[in-house]
Amino acid sequence: MFLLSFVSYIMVDFAIDPLEDLRASTSPNKEQLIANRSAMLMLDKSPLERYWSWLIGFVQGDFGIAWQTQQKVGDMLPNAISTSVSLVLMATVLAIILGVIVGVVSALRQYTGFDYAITFVSFVLYSLPVFWVAVLLKQYLAIGLNDFLAKPEPNWLLVAAGSILCGLFWMGAIGGKPGRLALVFASATAATFAVVVFILISGWLDHPSIGIVGLSVIAIASAIVVTMLFAGLANRRALYSALTVAAIGIALYYPLQWYFYFFEMDWLYIFELLGAAILVGLGVGWLFGGPDRAVSMRGGALTALLTSVVVFVDRVLQVYPQYYASGKIRGRPIATIGAETPSLHADFWTTQLDRFTHILLPTIALVLISFASYTRYQRGSMLEVMSQDYIRTARAKGLSERVVIMRHALRNALMPLTAIVPIDFLTLIGGAIITETIFGWSGMGKLFNDALKAAEIDPVMAYIVLVGGVTMLANILADFCYGLLDPRIRVNA
Amino acid sequence: MNEEELDYQAGEGRGDNAIEAKETEGLSQGQIVWRKFTRHVGAMSALGVLLATALFAISAMGVGPIPGWWKYQDPEATHPMENGGAPSANHPFGQDNIGVDNFAAVMTGVKTSLLIMVLIGVTTLIVGVSVGALAGYYRGWLDNLLMRFTDLVITLPTLVIGAVLGVMVSKAPGKLGWSDESVQEVYRWMPVLLGIALGLILWPSLARLVRGEFLALREREFVDSARVAGASDLRIMLKHILPNSVGVIIVNVTLLMSSAVVLETALSFLGFGVRSPNISLGNLISTNQGAFATRPWLFWWPGLFIIIIALTVNFIGDGLRDAFDPRTKKIPSISKMRRSFAQFTKEQ
Amino acid sequence: MNPSVETSQAPRPSMGAALEGAVRLSRAVGGEVKRGDTVLEVRDLSVHFWVNNEWFAAATGVSYDLKAGEVLAIVGESGSGKSQSSMSLIGLLPPNGRATGSAKLKGVELIGLRGKQLREVRGNEIGMIFQEPMTALNPVYTVGFQIAETLRTHYVMAPSAAKARALELMKLVEIPEPEASYDKFPHQLSGGQRQRIMIAQALVCDPKLLIADEPTTALDVTVQAEILKLMRELRERVDAAIILITHDMGVVADMADRIIVMKDGLVVDHGTAEEIFHHPKHPYTKALLEAVPHLGASARERAAAAFSSSYVAGDEPVPLTPGDPGATAALLLEDVAIEYPASGGQKAFRAAKHINLRVDPGRVVGLVGESGSGKTTIGRAALALIPVVEGRLSVAGRVIADIAGGKSYRASNKELAPFRRDVGIVFQDPGSSLNPRLPIGESIGEPLFLHEHLRGKELSDKVEELLDSVELPRAMRNRYPHELSGGQRQRIGIARALALRPKLLIADEPTSALDVSVQARVLKLFADLQDEYGFACLFISHDLAVVEMLSSQIAVMKQGELVEVGPTFDIVNNPQHPYTQRLLAAVPVPDPEEQRRRREQRDAILEAFGVS
Repeated sequence: MFLLSFVSYIMVDFAIDPLEDLRASTSPNKEQLIANRSAMLMLDKSPLERYWSWLIGFVQGDFGIAWQTQQKVGDMLPNAISTSVSLVLMATVLAIILGVIVGVVSALRQYTGFDYAITFVSFVLYSLPVFWVAVLLKQYLAIGLNDFLAKPEPNWLLVAAGSILCGLFWMGAIGGKPGRLALVFASATAATFAVVVFILISGWLDHPSIGIVGLSVIAIASAIVVTMLFAGLANRRALYSALTVAAIGIALYYPLQWYFYFFEMDWLYIFELLGAAILVGLGVGWLFGGPDRAVSMRGGALTALLTSVVVFVDRVLQVYPQYYASGKIRGRPIATIGAETPSLHADFWTTQLDRFTHILLPTIALVLISFASYTRYQRGSMLEVMSQDYIRTARAKGLSERVVIMRHALRNALMPLTAIVPIDFLTLIGGAIITETIFGWSGMGKLFNDALKAAEIDPVMAYIVLVGGVTMLANILADFCYGLLDPRIRVNA
Repeated sequence: MNEEELDYQAGEGRGDNAIEAKETEGLSQGQIVWRKFTRHVGAMSALGVLLATALFAISAMGVGPIPGWWKYQDPEATHPMENGGAPSANHPFGQDNIGVDNFAAVMTGVKTSLLIMVLIGVTTLIVGVSVGALAGYYRGWLDNLLMRFTDLVITLPTLVIGAVLGVMVSKAPGKLGWSDESVQEVYRWMPVLLGIALGLILWPSLARLVRGEFLALREREFVDSARVAGASDLRIMLKHILPNSVGVIIVNVTLLMSSAVVLETALSFLGFGVRSPNISLGNLISTNQGAFATRPWLFWWPGLFIIIIALTVNFIGDGLRDAFDPRTKKIPSISKMRRSFAQFTKEQ
Repeated sequence: MNPSVETSQAPRPSMGAALEGAVRLSRAVGGEVKRGDTVLEVRDLSVHFWVNNEWFAAATGVSYDLKAGEVLAIVGESGSGKSQSSMSLIGLLPPNGRATGSAKLKGVELIGLRGKQLREVRGNEIGMIFQEPMTALNPVYTVGFQIAETLRTHYVMAPSAAKARALELMKLVEIPEPEASYDKFPHQLSGGQRQRIMIAQALVCDPKLLIADEPTTALDVTVQAEILKLMRELRERVDAAIILITHDMGVVADMADRIIVMKDGLVVDHGTAEEIFHHPKHPYTKALLEAVPHLGASARERAAAAFSSSYVAGDEPVPLTPGDPGATAALLLEDVAIEYPASGGQKAFRAAKHINLRVDPGRVVGLVGESGSGKTTIGRAALALIPVVEGRLSVAGRVIADIAGGKSYRASNKELAPFRRDVGIVFQDPGSSLNPRLPIGESIGEPLFLHEHLRGKELSDKVEELLDSVELPRAMRNRYPHELSGGQRQRIGIARALALRPKLLIADEPTSALDVSVQARVLKLFADLQDEYGFACLFISHDLAVVEMLSSQIAVMKQGELVEVGPTFDIVNNPQHPYTQRLLAAVPVPDPEEQRRRREQRDAILEAFGVS
């Protein structure tokens, strides 16, 4: 870390030229100005001495100043960090989840059209320059979507194409014989089409909310899916406990609306409520008990988590009409500039919605790029694991394909992924420089970009040291995760 | 003689070994790789597209003193507006607001990007392979030292180091008080310098892989038997280990090159890479992003070419990976297999 | 005495006591089985693979019946289809494989079963034991969990009940401290214990059929003997029929009631153990049996040694044996210790210590020991590939290292150059000892190129001469290693080692990766060349029968130390050290009657020393 700061200080110091504008200037007191600035920035001293004084300051918590604006770096940092962290973390988490799921499915359907399509798409995404995508998103998606939201006139061709694409995706992902393929394709296409048509026709877009009906459908569906993946539907106790949790969530819908209405919320509250929900899930699983108490509890907690998220999203969506009507956003809900609408003094829910509309585009830009590498990587590692001897053993034991994949293959296939996450995280931080610049977020990346252009060494160094620290943290975290997954590291024997 | 032995292929009871052996008989490893690669449809078409693009761009704008066939050789010259600047017969890629021919600009950008890509490839190859080979072969303190050094380079995003280096290359001459002519000279060579500078930050991942490869290969018995035969360290490294790691090296240099294209354009976009008077695809997009609403073609064409280059290089890398991987075999079509099996059982 | 042995002496535990109350999730196929009932009927079973757009037969027309309690051995060399034909019984062929024909388990057709019905058979009715217990167990779950998992897949069972049943099985397969081992991960157990876990896992649902695919191939010979003993005992206790797939005739002789011999996907011989071993019908069976080295069969004194009885390690290490009078030893190790230097986070590891060993010119000395005993280390140190840290090592009178009493001399790289001329090495794995990127002619010629500076025509003549001497066609010089079979590659390895006519040859398990019939030919070639060239040889092997065929003296290693050195005849027929006795007793011989006798002897020896 120390070495890093030293090497980069010398490099940056050599790279920037604070006197450039003065040297080219024609003002009569040019020499005087140069001397003044040199004195201010200690340019008359050697780089080593400059480094030393910077280091002393840094260790004492003084990050220096951006000399052109005379702003203290220490004052600029907190805001910039929180902005960047929300962007990068969100993108990383989403990219990992999506990448892992698609990668695994692609590996399981190796050599099918689905696999080839995913491979091709991931190659294209991998080759996309992030700045180009970001500009495109800004110009097409944001404008188009905003126009559409202002006047929701469906483009039927697009709807039909989207539905068919969706149908093809599910067909490829689920796989099977031609007959089943056709069935899956037809039902997925029809379902997508129906949902889209419903949304368009019912005026849902003007008053979006999930409502108790939507909540019920989603909660019960997630209970079933969670049980299917983690316990198998044959495990009745697990199924019932997940369903009970879903039912509790549905029953609490109206009381919660009332509660949200009367109490001012903040994140702490929200997390407390989430914690309570998970506890309820665990409790229900425990009560159903049986020999597999742990499995039921896990299923209950997961269902509780998913249901809570739906309730939260529902509440945020309810403020949309209000948000849309407020003059601050001028009828363009999908924002292209900045991390939040300036001087939007609104309640908790509206602020969340505002945040969401701002983070949407930069996150999509970042996720598209990094999702591709996770997909490729996860696919490769899953294929590798599926050819291992212990997978054959698991099959020979008579385990169902679900158990073989979820229990035996996935955990082993996730292990190499922990090595790639820190590297990709680093790429994302780099990508954040570009997205922040394009979307006008005043985050760390923009700070670095501006400071480097303005020949201000202190903010650049603050950025480098912070990123270096975060990288090391990410590496440590990845090692820790690896240890959790792999007993050979955990238990030294 | 020994015909019988041919039937006993090494390996455990894999029925297909015998067939595999028959097929590859009389081919050197290189020929096998080449054959597998040429059968890789995606990689071959990517190679075709890449070569065509390169040829097209280079022949259009000429190389060095040799002029190209495109009528507007100066990518900065302004021409009278035609068709309101939209693509027209004279300016197939359109014109910008002052009438510069976009085709000439984009083709020059492609040339620059390709040049930088190749330079990055060569630089990473040299640095990465030497560092990785020395660290992996000699291990011990040398390995420790070199690997700590690579760790240091890997701690920061390549974009950050690239930006600092880019600024360094462009500012240093002025700072050091060089004469205007030499500064101009440096600017003319900017793409070359940038390519080498970026190569100097992209090598660590290659070095790590080469090191891993050397660490594994040096334990192999053929290395021991070469040492027993009296081969020197240098001979072992060059003659015995390097040819066996050539697959890993080629594949990863190719993949690095594709990410290098994107990196270079991103840097140029931010203003830390290639800058005027040189033209790169990245700074084309950067200068034109404001004109997006009015002249989208200024934005689309450079972007399209970045994608073409990165994508084709990626596909070639993937094809090479498959070709070098001894485990990949020709993929049987599942439906064809099913049909054939039905036929086969009927015959019996 | 080990407590686990006691439990095995206990009266037969009622198999499946824990299973009785449990509700079956998977239906039992075809009702109860009694000893002697026919469990499996295989008729005209064929396996084909779809390779390069054509169907390639891995096994054709395999037919047999199998009764409960019976052991059927399927024997064959690699590529004979022995594994694939059995894998097809539980639908475990690779995706490009297809099985045709019929195989009925208690009247239920297995071929073509899919989905749930197939899963009900797997693990429940048919248990499977794989070759490599390290890779066949999932590294991230405890072994107890993996056993219980099988149970809970087929029975509705509380975790506690499943654990009880799993522990019962772990006791049955004699895992020491089953309670503690239950929560261990596979990497924390030894190879033999892992294989026991595999067996427990295969037996946990009380299957009607057990398929063991090379169950002991990856194990050391003493561990193999224990696993075989265990399997024999299990045979008495469970009523399952067993299919044993192996290439090792010794294992077959030890276990099998009936034998199927396969070659190139065809059944060439089928009969009872007695018929196959004593009256083989098919010429291939005869050739196979002849090719198997038989411990004790060649125990005549090949060459008189300079000493007549064995030296045994007691409190003191084995002393240096006297050499042939007037001869300078080709290899001489005096109180040598060898370390693998520290690298990365690992500490230096002392792989061998207090080694006194002499190989006289023209002699073949066998060095035997189990994996990890340090025998390969000695071979590598003799070639100066790893440094000696104590003692004195000299080759053909030239001191390579002398580190004792304050002296510290190691030959530098330059000084080693002439030494390299005097030594050659043949490695175990013929696949990895040749550079895959060099044509074999160049591989063979490399020592000549480097030492004798031969070029062009001279070099090529010499290479051809060497190819002739290992009985390979000259045209092969332009081939690449992967185009050759294992046996051919090993011949190339030998030719290369002999290129400079070395005084000393180190042969490190030169035949253990080869099929027996190929091994026999390579060994014969090796013996002929040794007669012709007269080099001294340190022959390193884990296979006592092979060593016995070639060497005049044998040195036995255990955990980095020599325990006994003596003339071959004495070591084989009159071993002194308890470890040598155990080692010898564990080697199965390809003859059922003799093997039964040896087995009894072995049990007696074990009892006498109180070790298991």
